[in-house]
Amino acid sequence: MNVTLAYLIAAVLLLAVTAYSTAGGVDFGAGIWDLLAGGGERGRRARELIDRSMAPVWEVNNVWLVLAIVLCWTGFPILFERVFLSLYPLFSVALVGLVLRGAFFAFRHVAENPREHRIADYVFGISSVVTPFFFAMSLGAIASGRVGAPGVSAWDASVSPMSIAFGLVSVCATALSGATFLIGDARREQAAELVEYFRTRTLIAAGALIVVGTGALAAISGERRELVTSMASFPAVAFVAIVMVLTPTVALLVWRRWFAWYRILTVAAVGSLVTAWGVAQSPYLLPGRLTIEQAAAPLGTEVLLAVVAGVVVLVIGPSIGFLLYLDQKSALEPQH
Amino acid sequence: MAFTLGYHILLVPLGVALPTLTLVMEGIGLARKDGVALLIARRWSVVMGVQFAVGAVTGTILSFEFGILWPKMLGRFGAAFGLGFAIEGWAFFLEAIFISIYLYGWNRLRPRTHFLLGLVLPPSGLLGAFGVLAANSWMNTPGGVTLKPNGVLDVDVWAALFTKALTYEFWHFTIAIYLTAGFAVASIYAVAWLRGRRDRYQRLAFGVPFTIAAALAPVQWIVGDLSARALTFDQPAKFAAMEITWQTRSNNPEVIGGLIDSGGNVHLGVAIPSLDSILVGLSPSTIVRGLSSFAENARPDAIESNLTHLSFDLMVGLGTAALLLTIWYFTVLVRRRRLPESRWFYRLAALGGVGAYVTVEAGWVTTEVGRQPWIVYGAMRVADAVTNASPVFLWSMLGTLIVVYAGIAFFFVTLLLRLSRRWRREDEAGGTEPSGARGLPYAPRPRAVE
Repeated sequence: MNVTLAYLIAAVLLLAVTAYSTAGGVDFGAGIWDLLAGGGERGRRARELIDRSMAPVWEVNNVWLVLAIVLCWTGFPILFERVFLSLYPLFSVALVGLVLRGAFFAFRHVAENPREHRIADYVFGISSVVTPFFFAMSLGAIASGRVGAPGVSAWDASVSPMSIAFGLVSVCATALSGATFLIGDARREQAAELVEYFRTRTLIAAGALIVVGTGALAAISGERRELVTSMASFPAVAFVAIVMVLTPTVALLVWRRWFAWYRILTVAAVGSLVTAWGVAQSPYLLPGRLTIEQAAAPLGTEVLLAVVAGVVVLVIGPSIGFLLYLDQKSALEPQH
Repeated sequence: MAFTLGYHILLVPLGVALPTLTLVMEGIGLARKDGVALLIARRWSVVMGVQFAVGAVTGTILSFEFGILWPKMLGRFGAAFGLGFAIEGWAFFLEAIFISIYLYGWNRLRPRTHFLLGLVLPPSGLLGAFGVLAANSWMNTPGGVTLKPNGVLDVDVWAALFTKALTYEFWHFTIAIYLTAGFAVASIYAVAWLRGRRDRYQRLAFGVPFTIAAALAPVQWIVGDLSARALTFDQPAKFAAMEITWQTRSNNPEVIGGLIDSGGNVHLGVAIPSLDSILVGLSPSTIVRGLSSFAENARPDAIESNLTHLSFDLMVGLGTAALLLTIWYFTVLVRRRRLPESRWFYRLAALGGVGAYVTVEAGWVTTEVGRQPWIVYGAMRVADAVTNASPVFLWSMLGTLIVVYAGIAFFFVTLLLRLSRRWRREDEAGGTEPSGARGLPYAPRPRAVE
């Protein structure tokens, strides 16, 4: 009973991390393209589009993050303690990045002169790269098996080929998510030029993801062969296969300008990427050291978490659906 | 940690209670078909949006900081302490969704639908506050956990969620939230009155929040009194620090102001004979436990005691001042059937906003510093909870956060001032259609083709 519940909570935790990677990824990706847009007229128009498309989703993404943290410390307190004792340098940087990003995104709307505006653009853009990179590094550090290992300093646990590989993959993945969603927004505004602009960038990002992803696999097998082995066996292999099929598919769709399904497939690809890691690692939360069963909180706590999650899925599911419905209907936009 | 928590708590009153005030105003506007009330509600909702964004950012920082600073406490007790937060996390989620709908829905949904959807906000805000207070109460009066012989913690969920302190912490703080939000919002329009604005807009925007706050002030006085008395049982060391009582004795005087040194001598301050004993047990012979009856490593030290004591006095003093102001307000309201017209009343009401915030902060200092040296009362000391990270790292982290928070505060205040200037210009121009949220960071998108 307890074990089943612990797995359920672990699944919800993985879901929250996945949701943050996909939904937050779209947001961070937009920030990355904002940084790379450069000066000039074309860059300015791209930035304006990015601004408009980011506005309505605002803080809902942070909620996933808070949720993951809270689930982790309540459901798996020991995991939380070990991860933060080892990886606090990574989280600190990611946290500062996260705050600066939000603050300067807001700030550039009230900036009054071009200089303020430029500074705000830079800080916003750079922190959009730094934040996902460092968050993903922490996942890589967990996967590397160094967290909680005796005699490993915080620095050694945080920085390894594997954590850096995870970080790089995440930057490519977020750039891809951002670009595909910006195509969608540009199409909605019937801005043909911007559609082409982000089409090129989608293709670049997809290519980068494939190259960097392959490199990352090499780094992982160098450091922790077991992870690659379990990624190549059932059930994780299913998710790996999804990533490997969908990423080129998205690229193909966008390249041929068949603008259907490309966004949902990107979300599925990025989501599967995270899920593949999580499933491959199970039953371990910290590879080789701590299993889901060992880390689980007492039964009562797990029951409450499951009940709360269940109730909320019943309430929040329909609410999100309603929000999306209103958004699709454009009920939340000015009538034209 | 204290710094960020102390900052975040300032955002809570408006964050939780402003939606209620806004909805009351929208309700008035809809019921009476009053355009002015609707305009006010619309403007408040803009502030609500900005405030929520800031709160989401500081809230995210907080959740990470628990891990960065106190990993050992959560590793040990997360399964019990975290329960409240698990509820809060989901409530926050719900709030985020419905705030989006509410903000983007103005003029785009049917007014009635918009109002009804907004009604989700106050309960989800309160649910969130409940979760956090449950966690804080657990730190003050831990319950529901038993250590099994094999070293594993066993958690009784209900007992851990509804600890003794929750009863009074919840009511005391929930009322404080509405009280503070009411006084704070009203204070802005008190300033407007002093500057000569006397129209219906000003009267409504002042009267509604002030009346709500004023009705709660006496209730808070009683709840506060009950809370303090409960502490004499639940956390006698904290109570002793609040009253800087050194020796356990009957006929204990109530010391107002004043400082205690590490030898137990009280300097300065006005002592009212036997009053503390009377307040605790309604009789001068009531025995009050003093600081010296606790082991030295189980009670607040002299500095912590003084901080607790002075914050407590400040909180009670300001609370009493609010009560007097409220009596004035209702006297005029009942006898003359109109709002007060004295300049002094509005001067005091204008100070009331700041005063309410100072009171909240003082109350928070009282409960947190008064618990020292414990992080979990009687079960874990702060020193055992913190990370092994180097002091250099911690100090630089703190430095960064102070800069970031100062930036956020600056941004928030600047934005509000710009908004208020713009709204005043609009009102003077006499336009009827509010520009609402134009140019705001978290506002509905502007027209796509412009």
